[in-house]
Amino acid sequence: MIAFLTANIAPLMFGAMVLLLLLGYPVAFSLAACGVIFGLVGIELNLLPATLFQAMPDRIWGVMSNDTMLAIPFFTFMGLILERSGMAEDLLDTIGQLFGPIRGGLAFAVIFVGAMLAATTGVVAASVISMGLISLPIMLRYGYDKRLASGVIAASGTLAQIIPPSLVLIVMADQLGRSVGDMYKGAFVPGLVLTGLYTLYVIGVTIVRPKWAPALPAEARTIREDNGDVGLRSLFVLVAVAVAAALAFMNTALPAAIMSAMRRDVVEHVALDEAIVIGMCVWALVAYVCAQANSSFKLGLLSRMAERFTFVLIPPLALIFLVLGTIFLGVATPTEGGAMGASGALFMALARKRLSLAQLRQAMESTARLTTFVVFILIGSRVFSLTFYGVDGHLWVEHLLVNMPGGHLGFLIFVNVLIFVLAFFLDFFELSFIVVPLLAPVAEKLGIDLVWFGVLLGINMQTSFMHPPFGFALFYLRSVAPRAIRTTDIYWGAVPFVLIQIIMVCLVIAFPQLVNVGLDKTQEVDVDKVEINIQDDSQPAEVPSELAGSAPAAEESAPASDAGNDDIMKSFGSAK
Amino acid sequence: MPVFLRFSRGVDALNEWIAGRVIWLVLLVTLISAGNAIVRKVFNTSSNSLLEIQWYLFSAIFLLCAGYALLRNAHVRIDLITSRLGARGTAWVDILGTLFFLLPAAAMIAWFSWGVFVEAWQSGEVSANQGGLIFWPARLLVPVGFGLLILQGLSELIKRVGFLTGHLAAPVTQVDGPSEEEALAEEIRRTRKLDANEGSAEGGAQ
Repeated sequence: MIAFLTANIAPLMFGAMVLLLLLGYPVAFSLAACGVIFGLVGIELNLLPATLFQAMPDRIWGVMSNDTMLAIPFFTFMGLILERSGMAEDLLDTIGQLFGPIRGGLAFAVIFVGAMLAATTGVVAASVISMGLISLPIMLRYGYDKRLASGVIAASGTLAQIIPPSLVLIVMADQLGRSVGDMYKGAFVPGLVLTGLYTLYVIGVTIVRPKWAPALPAEARTIREDNGDVGLRSLFVLVAVAVAAALAFMNTALPAAIMSAMRRDVVEHVALDEAIVIGMCVWALVAYVCAQANSSFKLGLLSRMAERFTFVLIPPLALIFLVLGTIFLGVATPTEGGAMGASGALFMALARKRLSLAQLRQAMESTARLTTFVVFILIGSRVFSLTFYGVDGHLWVEHLLVNMPGGHLGFLIFVNVLIFVLAFFLDFFELSFIVVPLLAPVAEKLGIDLVWFGVLLGINMQTSFMHPPFGFALFYLRSVAPRAIRTTDIYWGAVPFVLIQIIMVCLVIAFPQLVNVGLDKTQEVDVDKVEINIQDDSQPAEVPSELAGSAPAAEESAPASDAGNDDIMKSFGSAK
Repeated sequence: MPVFLRFSRGVDALNEWIAGRVIWLVLLVTLISAGNAIVRKVFNTSSNSLLEIQWYLFSAIFLLCAGYALLRNAHVRIDLITSRLGARGTAWVDILGTLFFLLPAAAMIAWFSWGVFVEAWQSGEVSANQGGLIFWPARLLVPVGFGLLILQGLSELIKRVGFLTGHLAAPVTQVDGPSEEEALAEEIRRTRKLDANEGSAEGGAQ
C-alpha cells in the first residue's frame, strides 16, 4: 500500500485535485487543501522535506510583490468605470445609425463596436449588456433573425477576451512567465483577424439568407441635416482629409522626433506598429479639431453625422491610445497603462457627469472582490504546486504529454481539444490557473513559443463564454434580452461563432506568424528593459543610455530578442 | 446557538466594515500608479518607494478583503455537481469544505506567515532596492488577512449549520441591492428612457 502510494503519489494527487474541485467548494481553497493534504502525506512518506510548508509565506510573498497581477485591478476598475460612462451607448447609437441602412448593417455595427470596446477594456459583461439592451431591440424590430442577432452580440462581447488589454492575457503572461506587453502585441493581430472572421460570417449570411439581416429603412437614420440629407459625403470628406493629413505627417521627420522625445533617445527608424499608433493619433486629432471647430464656430461645413461620428469615436480612441498606444510605443509598462487607462476613464466619466459616489463605490467594491478571488485562486494554485512539484508531478505530466502520438502537432491538438471541452465547465480564470501551468513546461520542452501558445489558448478559452448552457456571455445576454428571444435561440445563435473560434484556433496553429508579426521588434525588448530597469536599477536616470546600447543589437537579430526574453524569465523566476 | 449566531453576525459586520474602507485603496493605488508613470516620463525621475507602495496597497486589497469575498460568496466554484444538490446539499459541501479545506490551509498559512512577520519586525527588514520600504507592514498583512479569512470561515460554518438546523432562513447572507450587472442594465434602461422623454436626437429609431 505504502509502496504503491509512494510510487504513484503524483497521479493520485492529480486525481484527488479533480475530485476535490468537482465537490463544488471554492476552487482556491480546494486547491490549497489538496496541496496541504498531500504535502503532509509526502512528508510522512519521506518524499518531501519536513520543512516544506515553511516555503509557503515565500510563495504568498511572491504573489503579493507581483507587478503583473497588479494590472488586474487596474483594468477591471477601468472597465467598470467605463461601462457607466455612456461611451458604449453613444457608440452603438451612432455607428448603428451609420451602418444600419446597409444589409446586415446593425450586425456590422455590433461587431465594430464590440471590437472597439474590447480594445479599451477587458470586461465581457459590460459589452454584452449594453448591446443586448440597445442594439438587440432594434435588430428585432427590423426583422433580424433572433439567433443571428443574439449570437453576434454574445460573440462580439467576448472579443474583450482576446483583443488587448484583456484580463486573460495578463493571467496567461503570469502563468507562462512572459511579459504582458508581449502577450498584448501577440494577441493584437489575431484579435483583428477574428473580428474580420465574424464580419465575413455576417457578410455570408446577408448573401445566403438576406432575410436574416435586412437593411434598415432610410427613415431609421435620425441624425440628418435639416433638409433631410444624411450627410455621408461630408463624413467621407472629413475621413479622407484626416487620413491624408496623417499620411503627410508620417512622411515628415516628426514621428521619429516624437519617438525620440518619448524614449529620451535617438530614434531614427519608426517601426510599423509605432507608425500606425502615431498615424492613428494624428488622424483622430485632425478629425477632432475639424469637428470641434465646426461645432464651436457654427461653420456648417460638416454634416451632423460627420460631427457626431467624430465625437463618439474620440473618447474610445483616446483611451486606446492611453493604454495600448503607450504600451506598444514602449512608453509605459502594461501595469502603468492600466492605471492610466483607469484614471482616464475616471476623468471621462466625471467630465460627462456620469459617475455618482454610489457608482464609484460599487466599481471599487467589484474591483476589490474580483481581485481578491482571482489572487486567491493564484495563491491556492501556488500552494498546490508547492507540493505537486515537490513530488515531481510536473515530470509526470510532462512524461504523459511529451510522448503524445503526433509529437508537436499531436500535443497542440490534444491541448486544444482539452481546453475546448473543459471550457464547458470551467471559466478562464480556473483554466489558466489550474490547467495552463501543467501544460506550459511541456510546451516549452517541445520548443513551442510560449507567447504564441498563450495567445492560442486565449482564443480557445474565449469559447468558455459562449458554450451553452454555462457560458457567461449567453447568461448576461439572457438577463437583458427581450422575452421574444427564447433561451434556445441564444444557445443556437452562439454555435456558428463557436465554430468560427475553432477555425481561428486552426488558423493560428497553421500560421504562427499571425501572432509573431506583432513581436520581434526593437521596442518589444525596450518595454521589458524599461520594466526591469526601473525595478532593479537604483538610478533610473541612467536607463536611456543603456537602452541606446541594447536596442540596435536587438533589432538586427532574433537571438538577441530571445536573450531579452530569457532575462524576463529569470526575473519572473526570481519574483516567484 | 444564539451565541454562535451573534458571533457570526459580529464577524460579518467586521469584515463588511473593513472592506468598506479597503475598497478606497483601489482608487488610491490607481492614482499613485498613473501619477508615478507620468512623473517618470515627464520629469524622468522615479522612486522605488512609489513603486513598492503600489504592491503594498495591492496586497492590502486582496488580503484584507479575503474575509469579505468569502462573506459575499465571491469565490468561483465548479458547480457541476452542487448545482444539482439543492440548498441543503450545498450547505453540507460548504460545511465540509470549510472544516477540512479552508480552515486548515488558512490556519497553516497564518501560522507560518506570523513567524515571518515577527522576524521582519525584529530585524527591521528593509527592501533591497534603494529607497525601498520597510517590510514588516506588508509581512503583517498576511497573517491579518488570513486571520480575517478564518474568522469569516467560522461565521460561514455557523450560518450553514444554523440553516440546516432551522435557525436561519438562508445559508448565505443575502446581498442587499442589485448585482453589478443588474445595476448596469438598470442604469442603461433609466438613461434610455430619459433620452426618449427629452426627445433628444437619440429618440426616434431607438
